[in-house]
Amino acid sequence: MALRAAVLRHIRVPVQTLGLKSNPRAPSGSIRLMSSHDDHLSKEEVADRVLSVVKSFPKVDPSRVTPEVHFQKDLGLDSLDSVEIVMALEEEFKLEIPDKEADKIDSCNLAIEYIHNHPLAS
Amino acid sequence: MGASKGGTRLSGMQKQVLSMYRGFLRAARSKSLEHRRQIESVVSAEFRRNSKQVDRKNFIYIEYLLHRGKKQLDQLNSPDTVGLSSLNVEGN
Repeated sequence: MALRAAVLRHIRVPVQTLGLKSNPRAPSGSIRLMSSHDDHLSKEEVADRVLSVVKSFPKVDPSRVTPEVHFQKDLGLDSLDSVEIVMALEEEFKLEIPDKEADKIDSCNLAIEYIHNHPLAS
Repeated sequence: MGASKGGTRLSGMQKQVLSMYRGFLRAARSKSLEHRRQIESVVSAEFRRNSKQVDRKNFIYIEYLLHRGKKQLDQLNSPDTVGLSSLNVEGN
């Protein structure tokens, strides 16, 4: 018994907190709802940036740009201008939008929707 | 040919033209900034000029322009090509 006490007095075991180190990506406190990646853009941010790209297009009157506007019906642009706007959005969000999709994007709303749903938009 | 207005559905030929326009703008991205701007302005002027001057029903001529454009685009996509120049032979 005396021996055991003597031994125990001299043993120092490094204290280790279990669990925290093993999974650094575990949610701590906050709940991530069905998010497959952490840095996904919020819809508000996408909308703001889409609108500012459209507003800065030379032929567009910035005061007329809202999320609802249709490029050709409301902003007086033609199909070549639409191509240029979608290309500018590609650069803004570092995406490459295939022709088939790009042809369909004819309004701010559709652009916001497409980019917000795109997993690689940044 | 008339760049389409008002969001009517695009014909197959219009889609081909827009796709080619996209191709040229993409090719321009791979060049130096100075050349890129210059390519964009030449290409945009050419597409706009044709969209106003060419009758949208002149399919044979549009096919010819698409064919010619494709060859120019292939050339522009070559890394050896740094820029574009245009020569106005009609003098208008």
